[in-house]
This record gives sequence, structure tokens and C-alpha cells, in this order.
Amino acid sequence: MKVALFVPCYVDQFYPQVAIASLQLLAKLGVAAAFPKQQTCCGQPMANSGCEQDAKPVYHHFVDTFQDYDYVVGPAGSCVYHVRQHFDIIDQTPAVQHVRTATVELFDFITQVLGVTEIPGRYPHKVGLHLSCHGQRGLHQANESEMTPVRDGQLRRLLAGLDGLELTELDRNDECCGFGGTFCVSEAGISARMGQDRVADHLRHGTQVLTGGDMSCLMHLEGIVRRRQLPLRVLHAAEILNGALA
Amino acid sequence: MSQPQNHAQRSDLFLLDEERTTWHDETLWFVRQKRDRAVYATPEFQELRQLASDIKDHTLSRLAEYLEQFEDAALANGVRVHWAADAAEHNRIVLGIVRQAGASRVVKSKSMLTEECHLNPHLLAHGVEVIDSDLGERIIQLRDEAPSHVVLPAIHLKKEDVGETFWQHLGTEKGLTDPQQLTEAARQHLRAKFLAAEVAISGVNFAIAETGSVVVCTNEGNADLAIGLARVHIACMGMEKLLPRLSDLAVFTRLLTRSATGQPITTYTSHFTKPLPGRELHVVIVDNGRSQQLGRPDFRASLKCIRCGACMNTCPVYRRSGGHSYDFTIPGPIGAILSPNIDMRKHASLPFASTLCGSCTDVCPVKIDIHTQLYKWRQVLGAEGMLPASKKYSMKLLSRVLARPALFKAGGAAARLGLRFVPHALSHAPGYNPWAIARELPAPPKQSFRDWHAAQAATPAPTV
Amino acid sequence: MSTAREKMLAAVRASQPGALPLPTVPLFDGEASVEKFIALLESIGAQAIQLPHLSQLAATVARCYPNERRVASDLLPATVAVAATTPAATLATIDLAVLRGAFGVAENGSIWLPEAAMLHRALPTVAQHLAIVLDQHALVATMHQAYARLNGQPGGYGTFLAGPSKTADIEQSLVIGAHGARSLLVLLH
Repeated sequence: MKVALFVPCYVDQFYPQVAIASLQLLAKLGVAAAFPKQQTCCGQPMANSGCEQDAKPVYHHFVDTFQDYDYVVGPAGSCVYHVRQHFDIIDQTPAVQHVRTATVELFDFITQVLGVTEIPGRYPHKVGLHLSCHGQRGLHQANESEMTPVRDGQLRRLLAGLDGLELTELDRNDECCGFGGTFCVSEAGISARMGQDRVADHLRHGTQVLTGGDMSCLMHLEGIVRRRQLPLRVLHAAEILNGALA
Repeated sequence: MSQPQNHAQRSDLFLLDEERTTWHDETLWFVRQKRDRAVYATPEFQELRQLASDIKDHTLSRLAEYLEQFEDAALANGVRVHWAADAAEHNRIVLGIVRQAGASRVVKSKSMLTEECHLNPHLLAHGVEVIDSDLGERIIQLRDEAPSHVVLPAIHLKKEDVGETFWQHLGTEKGLTDPQQLTEAARQHLRAKFLAAEVAISGVNFAIAETGSVVVCTNEGNADLAIGLARVHIACMGMEKLLPRLSDLAVFTRLLTRSATGQPITTYTSHFTKPLPGRELHVVIVDNGRSQQLGRPDFRASLKCIRCGACMNTCPVYRRSGGHSYDFTIPGPIGAILSPNIDMRKHASLPFASTLCGSCTDVCPVKIDIHTQLYKWRQVLGAEGMLPASKKYSMKLLSRVLARPALFKAGGAAARLGLRFVPHALSHAPGYNPWAIARELPAPPKQSFRDWHAAQAATPAPTV
Repeated sequence: MSTAREKMLAAVRASQPGALPLPTVPLFDGEASVEKFIALLESIGAQAIQLPHLSQLAATVARCYPNERRVASDLLPATVAVAATTPAATLATIDLAVLRGAFGVAENGSIWLPEAAMLHRALPTVAQHLAIVLDQHALVATMHQAYARLNGQPGGYGTFLAGPSKTADIEQSLVIGAHGARSLLVLLH
């Protein structure tokens, strides 16, 4: 099985530790992931801004970069969702079709492809899980409150399986954090307010470590946490799971 | 501040009152939770959504035939059917019926269509008194405001605001804030209007092709009371309100209020099929852009909307920006996909007033892919050259960088270097960096992942 | 034929997609018990009384409404005569209407009230209080059975009435008695 690590552009530049943790976590689970260094970005920032046509060269570059791999694994539900969902505007060559289905979110890969549903390890903290909308509603990685009162999902289960880890229960389990890509600057006021409300929900319920599967949401929430100097650590779930797994 | 130009600027005005924003958000979230409880308690709810979606898809695919069938059935029932291609024609027709009836006093129950057509100003300008009889509608009519929600038109107001308005217009005691007493004051005030009205105007929730009936759903009973008393009833309906069969109402009445307010059904679900002898029932069928939207394959599903408001209640943006921030008759996510069809330039910011979180799509009782349509409207606006210049050119530049790994690597390094050495006050200056108004930028690491990876001598996997 | 009509139909024909199928809707069944119906009635702000026998109707109404003097009904001795032509001024003085409902829907507490049972179309909403007499065997589970029972014949006017008039337009505070009847009592027999 030939696996590539897809490192979203902002993770590469600002959160290298998340990509490192993803790589190491995969290695511990027996997968030696390659890092094709030609990779840049999925093109979502342009497309979400209404410039899908401008994103086409980026889409082609993405496909060229990853077409020789069986799986393209990324620690970011939103970017993965974009590749799978929105690469439909370029010619659907076999390579494009392959890359769209082969691109998988990190925890989908671990649980669905590798079949690993429990990671042994210890993490004695109160952890608040932030569900990324594209991961949850787009990739169906977790139950949705619009459909059912049962709060469940694969990342929730992986985290809950760690010794000593206590998941905090929020008032609003799956409210959007307000990042929204370029929304975070074009609608900066609402975006910030949404993030502040999300962080407040976590603080109210005792979250010590705020985590999730999508670093873009977490980058936004971390920005608020740091501005307000709040007692919260923000970590990608790959960092927690990699750290806990011997 | 000069007149706000777009959704973000109008939202910023709403956000100025932090406490009120919290209240607005929590009040609508409370409605969303009531919806959730009703949905969870209905095991076949998801199946009903699919049926509703399919019935609407079918009806839209044969809309011309159903319009004709409806007209035939209605005419046979003694109903007078009128056709209005646009808002102006709708208003002319309604005014003509009112004049024909020799009437000067009209009571109107809730109708988003008449809001869309700006019927009230038209009637008032021609000497017809028109009173909105839904409590929320009456409150905002007295305040000369637009509704901020399709189901809860006065949800942007607090009871103190209503008390002040009623003190000014209805002569209630100053400082009255008890909803019970305020509602009672409105009841007394409006009773007189109901009894005096010669014409009752209503909206239409559903129209049934097989029977020629129009169905009106209210909780207050204002539509039934007004229609029951007035000699002339004018029902104004958008042409997309049709359903093929009477029995289809089972699906839609089960979905409508559960989605809207969490109620199992509205208090009054009323079927108007035949006027009594000596009385008149007029149905005005309105296009006003709907046939154009029907011709847009990516967006025609927006015509399936049954105006339950669930997408507003669930929208994290709407809850914090208020209905007026959309500056369109129908606010919220559904308004953001309907409005560009009407005026693309004016409403260009609305499809961007969303994080594309998708919750709207998941609560929609007729399964409109709202967030997908928001995304697609963005592309249309981009292609039509209606994006702000800053966005347009920065995205072109970004595309060039992201399609070229060497440029990307150099650009990223420069950005990280910049962030590390530029003073915080400059990198976070609000005038230049909207991100930094309320957030810190990420602390820039010394090394990108690709640099780290290249430095690992023992990288296990081959690189391409 | 108006030109608008032709223009609109032509525009629709030009825009509508190829025909899509009309689904068959299953008759979703459910519980149609008196207990469930009463529980729903109470949850939507109505009250319910089970009469041992219909002969006790007048006495029960008299006991439940000691102060309502102006009563319109075709089910018990009325104090105000109401017909389809009764003027609004008279209707406006009615304290209580006692009418017969056709059948009830257990899933939502609604009652089908056909025009024939209303005496006047405005009576159910113009009366200050409303009592509906309903055969407790005339209950269906869901709206699917309800519409099946109407069999495509809704009459000239008819309503599914669910509880008393209500509003939550001021700060989402529920207030009973907006414009229609201030209370609804369902008398089951």
C-alpha cells in the first residue's frame, strides 16, 4: 500500500508539528507515508471565494502530485472534503477520479482503511472535541445533531479510548466555529464572534485541551484563545494520539 | 458610518450590541432545539424529508401542467384565478380587486410574497388601509420595519421594544413588558380591525392541484378569523406553492411546524376551496422571478422551500447577524440563494455570508442543498465579475503561487519570516488585517514541515 | 385569457426540467389511542374531558363555563343563534361555541372541523372560547390517515384545529389566546 501524506498549505507553514505527528502516528500504526514535496494546496481558498476557475491549475497540480499513490492521507477534513467533492469541475480522467476517491482524512484512514478503532495510550486531561463541519457533515465522520441526539463519531471514540481522557460535553456539540476559509476575513466580525462563543462553550464545561481533526478550525480558535489569554491548550488530535501511543 | 454596503458591514452594526447578539443567538438556538426534539420523536422524519423533496421535485418538473390543473379545479369551485408575472402586476391586481369590492379596509395575514412585492405601500398609496394581523407582523408594521425572519418576523425585538411601540401606537401603559398583556392589547386592537375589514388578504402555504384548494397555516387564527368575516378573500401565492394531491399535505404538514417551531402541527391548518354564495375567493398566482430560477438547474431546488425558517434558526451566521443584515425579504441561508436570482449585484455578498457549515441543508425539510447552492452562487458571482476587486486579484495571485511549488515554498518562508520579525502591532493592525481584530495570528515556526522533512536523514518513504 | 397567464406558463414550460417521478406516500401508521390523543391535546394547550355519555354534554359545558352566557351551538341549547349569514357584530359577542369535530389525529392533537360543523366560517375563531365534541372512536394515528379519511374531499372550507389560538411572537414567550379562541376544551365521548 502506497500512502502519501497530504499536508495542507497552512499546516505546512504554520503547524509543522501536526504534520509530524500525523506522519509518526501513521508510522506507529505500520504505515510509512511518503511526503511528495511538490504538493501545495487543494485550491479551496480560491474556490470558496468564487474563483473556482482560478483554482483549476491547482487541482491539476494536486492530481499530478498524488496520482501514483493508493491513498492520500490528510490531517484536515475540510481539504479532503474539497478534493473529494469539488474536483468535479475538471475533466474526470482516471487519474482525477482515482485521486478524488483515494484522498482520505487521517482518522477515516486509521479507522476505515486500517481498521484501527482503538489506540492504546494515556492522556489524563479534560479534552473538548471540536467537530469540523466538513468532516462531520461533509465526510459524515460523526453523528449530526440535526438528525439524532446521539453524540458519536470515530474521532470521539478514538479519544475516549485513551486512559484518563475525559471528554467534555458541550451545550452545542456541533456548532460551527466560524472559520469558514476566507469567511474569516471577509466576515471577520461574525467569524470572531462565532469563535468566541465556541471557545466559551468549552470553557464553561471544563475543557483543558481543545482538539479536533481540522487544523483550520483550530487555528481560528487558537487565535481567539491566545488573544484572550484563556487557559486552554489547542492541539490537533493527531498530536494527542501520537503522543499517547507508545 | 456611511450606509452599510454588504452583509459583513450590516452584521458589524448588529454585533455592536454584544448582549443583544447573545440573546438573539440563544433565542433562535432555543427554537432549533425545539425542532430537534420534535424531529427525534418522529421516527420516519428522514423518510418524510425525502418524500417531500421528491414530491416537490416532481411538481416543479411538471409545474405548468399543475398550474393549469389547479386553475381548472379552482375555477370549477367558483374561485377567481389571476396571474401576475411580476410584483407590480400582483399589486395592480390586488388593488383592482379591492377597488372592485368598493373596499377601503383590508386585513392581511402573514404572507412573505406580499412582503416581496411590497404590497402594503402600494395599497396605502392608493388610499387603502391595510393592517397586518399576525402579531409579529403588526408589531413591525407599527415600527415601519421589515420582517427579520419568515416565521418569527419580530424576533429581532425585545419585549421592551414592543412595549414602547404599543405605548406609542396602541396607547398601552408606558413600560409594559409582559408578553401576555402586550398580546392581549394587540388582540383588542386587532379585533376591531377584523370586524371592520371588507377584504382579507392571506398568503398561501400550499395549493392543491387536484382540488383547487389553498391551504393557510397559522397559530394565531388571524387568517381564519379575517377570511371568515370579510366578504372578499384574496390569497396571494408564489407559483411554486403547488402540490399535486390533497394527501401530499400529510407529508408537508408533518414537516412544516416540526421544522419551524417544534410544534406537531400549526394550530390552524385551513383549507379554502370554495367561496360561500355572495362571497369571493381570489387566488393571485405570482411568478416574479420564479420561472427564471426554475430555469437555473443548479438553483431550481431553492423553489422547493416551504418557508419553515429552520435554516435561519440553525444558521450560526444568521443567529449572530440578524435578519435585517441580509437586506432581502427572505433572510438567512435560503434568502442568500434566492436573492441573487432577483438582483445579483445588490445581493452579491449574501452567498458569502456563510461558513458553508451545511447545517441548513441538514435541517431543511425538503432537502434543499442550500450550502451547495451557496458555493455555486459564489462561482456564478465570480464568473460574472461581481466579487470585490481585492478578492478577485488576490485569488488569481494565490492560484499562481499554489500551482508552483517553488513559489509556494518561497512565499511560505517569507510569510513566516515576516511574521517573526515584523512587530506585533504592525502584523496585527486591524486596518490591514481583519483576522487580527479579535484573533492572534499563528505563532510562526522556524521551520515548515517540508523543511523539517527534508532535514530528516532517515525519511523512510521515497519522495516523488 | 390574460397575457400574463400565457407568458408565465410559457416561461415555466421553457424552464422546467424533464418530468421526475411522483412518489407513492406510505400510510405511516402509529398509535391512535385516546390516551395519546389527550396527551397531545394537553401538550398544545388544550384540555380534554371524557364524558361517560353524550347526554351529559350540556351539564358538563354548564359546569366548565359558569360565566360564559352567550353560547352558540347546534349540539345543546344555545343562547345565540348562528347561521352562515349571521352578521359580524353578533358573532363578536359570542363567549363560547360548542361544535362537533369530525375526527381527531393522535400524533398532533388536531381535530378536523369541516365547514358544515362550524355554523359560520368565523365562529371557531371569533368565539372567545371553543369546545369541540368528538367521538373518541373517531381517532386516526397520523396525518396520512387523516387525509386518507378526507379522500380528496376537503369541502368548501375546513380546518385541522390543534389547540387554542396562540403566539410566541414576543420574545418566543408562549401566549395562549392571540386572535382566535382563548381556550379549547375537547369533550370526548
